Amino acid sequence: MLQEKLQDVFNEPGCATNQAKSDKERKKGCSKALKPGAAAGGCAYDGAMIVLQPIADAAHLVHGPIACLGNSWDSRGTKSSGSQLYRTGFTTDLSELDIVHGGEKKLYRAIREVVQQYDPPAVFVYQTCVPAMIGDDIEAVCKFAAKKLGKPVIPVMAPGFVGSKNLGNKMAGEALLDHVIGTVEPEVTTPTDICIVGEYNLAGELWLVKPLLDEIGIRILSCISGDGRYNEVAQAHRARLTMVVCSQALVNIGRKMQERWGIPYFEGSFYGVSDMSDTLRTMARMLVERGADKAILDRTEGVIAREESRVWRRLEPYKPRFDGKRVLLFTGGVKSWSMVTALEGAGLTIAGTSTKKSTKEDKERIKKMKGEEFHQWDDLKPRDIYKMLKDSEADIMMSGGRSQFIALKAKVPWLDLNQERHHAYAGYDGIVNLCEEIDKTLSNPIWRQVRLPAPWDGKPGEA
Amino acid sequence: MSDTVSQSADKVLDHFTLFRQPEYKEMFERKKAEFEYGHSDEEVARVSEWTKSEEYKEKNFAREAVVINPTKACQPIGAMFAAQGFEGTLPFVHGSQGCVAYYRTHLTRHFKEPNSAVSSSMTEDAAVFGGLNNMIDGLANAYELYKPKMIAVLTTCMAEVIGDDLQGFIANAKGKDSVPQDFPVPFAHTPAFVGSHIVGYDNMIKGVLTHFWGTSENYDTPKNASINLIPGFDGYAVGNNRELKRIAGLFGIDMTILSDVSDNFDTPMDGEYRMYDGGTTLEATKEAVHAKATISMQEYCTPQSLQFIKEKGQDVAKFNYPMGVAATDELLLKLSELSGKPVPAELKLERGRLVDAIGDSHTHLHGKRFAVYGDPDFCLGMSKFLLELGAEPVHILSTSGSKKWEKQVQKLLDSSPFGKSGKAYGGKDLWHLRSLIFTDKVDYIIGNSYGKYLERDTKVPLIRLTYPIFDRHHHHRYPTWGYQGALNVLVRILDRIFEDIDANTNIVGQTDYSFDLIR
Repeated sequence: MLQEKLQDVFNEPGCATNQAKSDKERKKGCSKALKPGAAAGGCAYDGAMIVLQPIADAAHLVHGPIACLGNSWDSRGTKSSGSQLYRTGFTTDLSELDIVHGGEKKLYRAIREVVQQYDPPAVFVYQTCVPAMIGDDIEAVCKFAAKKLGKPVIPVMAPGFVGSKNLGNKMAGEALLDHVIGTVEPEVTTPTDICIVGEYNLAGELWLVKPLLDEIGIRILSCISGDGRYNEVAQAHRARLTMVVCSQALVNIGRKMQERWGIPYFEGSFYGVSDMSDTLRTMARMLVERGADKAILDRTEGVIAREESRVWRRLEPYKPRFDGKRVLLFTGGVKSWSMVTALEGAGLTIAGTSTKKSTKEDKERIKKMKGEEFHQWDDLKPRDIYKMLKDSEADIMMSGGRSQFIALKAKVPWLDLNQERHHAYAGYDGIVNLCEEIDKTLSNPIWRQVRLPAPWDGKPGEA
Repeated sequence: MSDTVSQSADKVLDHFTLFRQPEYKEMFERKKAEFEYGHSDEEVARVSEWTKSEEYKEKNFAREAVVINPTKACQPIGAMFAAQGFEGTLPFVHGSQGCVAYYRTHLTRHFKEPNSAVSSSMTEDAAVFGGLNNMIDGLANAYELYKPKMIAVLTTCMAEVIGDDLQGFIANAKGKDSVPQDFPVPFAHTPAFVGSHIVGYDNMIKGVLTHFWGTSENYDTPKNASINLIPGFDGYAVGNNRELKRIAGLFGIDMTILSDVSDNFDTPMDGEYRMYDGGTTLEATKEAVHAKATISMQEYCTPQSLQFIKEKGQDVAKFNYPMGVAATDELLLKLSELSGKPVPAELKLERGRLVDAIGDSHTHLHGKRFAVYGDPDFCLGMSKFLLELGAEPVHILSTSGSKKWEKQVQKLLDSSPFGKSGKAYGGKDLWHLRSLIFTDKVDYIIGNSYGKYLERDTKVPLIRLTYPIFDRHHHHRYPTWGYQGALNVLVRILDRIFEDIDANTNIVGQTDYSFDLIR
């Protein structure tokens, strides 16, 4: 069953990369085989957790030994405006005897205790490597528990060994499609209800966007899954439009919602001034196409005009400070192309960008924007990044936490641009936040200290 | 209070909670209402608000006579501290005994260690007729009772006001066999009404050196390869002196710390009581005249001593409580230059690690505004480190600070764009600082335990980094000098910043969306 599901997500017609492949290639799957012995990123379980955990009022129960939950507990800064239950770590903490006798009964008891003590609207149960290998049928346990306890209990079938983090994202999407979306009917609907997919409200980013949507008159019926509530996610099928934010990871949700409920979707981004404006425009236009009041078009333009002039005015002071500064973007999930325009708008020069997780379309877009000469790397080894920085081809690197230390050891300032960042960079205000952080990082005196040779170096006879 | 119901033997409440029980609250309220005749709560609140205003600040800074919450102590405590850094030395304070009890408790409350000192216990008749007899009897008793190897004599105000002459008195006492003729009794006049503890420290160091080295100028004193180091008055002496010795060891430098209190203020609990422990040996102190150079870690603690040492033909170098990367670089380079030895590989690695740590955490420090107060050298060293971290020292205040010091701080501030909003306040006190913080807000205060009242009033978090630290334990065991020390200081500052962030995000259901596990 797991294999069928995998084939299904590999064969994603909504994914441009996938469509460019031959049948044979497609069958092999979209995640590159990991190279044994080489450094690798997170597993499928991690990916599934990333997508689902922001559903704040649900309990997230990890069925496995302590490793899976213990090492990841509460490590992502996705914010909730209400329930904080999602930050409580629930696990079955499997031990040796459980593995000998099977963990199904323990899992059931764990689900029951979670429901009895916390009464969440739903429990997500995460499969992990060990119970998957010994054959715990968690789907059956969840079904039984749901019936017995009268609560949705959703199995998330993404044990670590099936593949990468990205694949886990998709599997989580499948879990939502199979068990959650469409199970609750909203009390009220409006013609401007939307569903946002792939926005996790990291550092409260969604909250930088939501006031603008409120002002235009667009209602977020459901966000998958930032600041999410179980019942909101479950009623996503009544949205008039879906916006897919992190396109590679969760395009399957957008496409299948279109398939099942006829909801059109588009891929958009909240990062960067022009992308933010494009997103708002597309959103309004598509809603009007689906019958919303035309007045939102004008309101959207009004908001865009005001916010754009405001943001450019606020970025003005950075321009002289950023003059001649070169940025190396190594961003993974966050859209490289949309960052490029925003940063250039603030006066920075982009030395190059990685496109590891970008789609072909993204790459084309960058090419169109920056010309053929522009550096784009699909996969840059740490050694190569280090060399580039060492040869001072950039003044600052922006990347996820994992490449942080490459930059720092190469004595180059670094800015956190990944899931564990502490500042919100989405929307118009987010770009100002970003530039503020870049400015601080660039101008911190420690970099001068770092680059100066130690005072005793270069003095013959002393070193 | 026969009707006390809150206290019971099964669960004894301490004063944190006992006096919040209803019967005590009622008692306090009744007392206030019926007996105190105080101003109304509204009036109290109004005046309290007024003390935070710009108008009040002006009046506050126009203050001429009264000093409120000074950040300085008196000469004798500094002199006593200096004396306690020498082997088997009993400080003997000529004057009234109450003062001595103060110095001892002050030091004990910080170091959590006993420390010994005696007084000549002058009373009214001594004040009238002079304290010679007290000196004669006192020295004899101290020598008999406590078996010291050296008695260092200093004075309180009382002896200074009547003008007792220590040199003459000590000679007189020796003539009366209070102590043997060759027994070392160095001395320093330390009136509390001149300068502060840092001056007293200087006086005593000079007094001890004068005793062993003689008063005469001698630029041709024969020299060896060793180097002397005077730490100055330092609440972190236990950690710092040991760190300095480790650094000297790595260099392979024969270093004599002149006044090393690290063991005396950190004796082990092993069943043996050590009235005196460790310290610079008298032999080494005597030999130290032949060192090629002397380094002072705190310029303002040693002006006279350095001058004196210079007159013995030594090179001298002075620092201002060096903390951080650049300041430690300078210190090590000076050691390297004076000794002709390269900076040891291990210290180079430590430097890299410190820089690495700063690189990892600098975003949390960048642009944060600090008020710094304490001794003049500490303020300089701390501000320099803050500038290096990208933080902004805004109010730099030292009651012992002079005009010269103010200029020196200003020069430091001018050396960095992060010093633009900074200003030095010499001769000002913590009540001035209160006004400064209310009218020109900072993010953090760096100081000592006395800053907790500022923290309470202004709600600006306090980082305790200088003497005295009474309400936190054992900080003095960790160095603040050297790269390792800078790391400690960095961590202490960061800890407070993160605690502050946590405290501001921990209201369940209101702010806890930012109560993050990872910072």
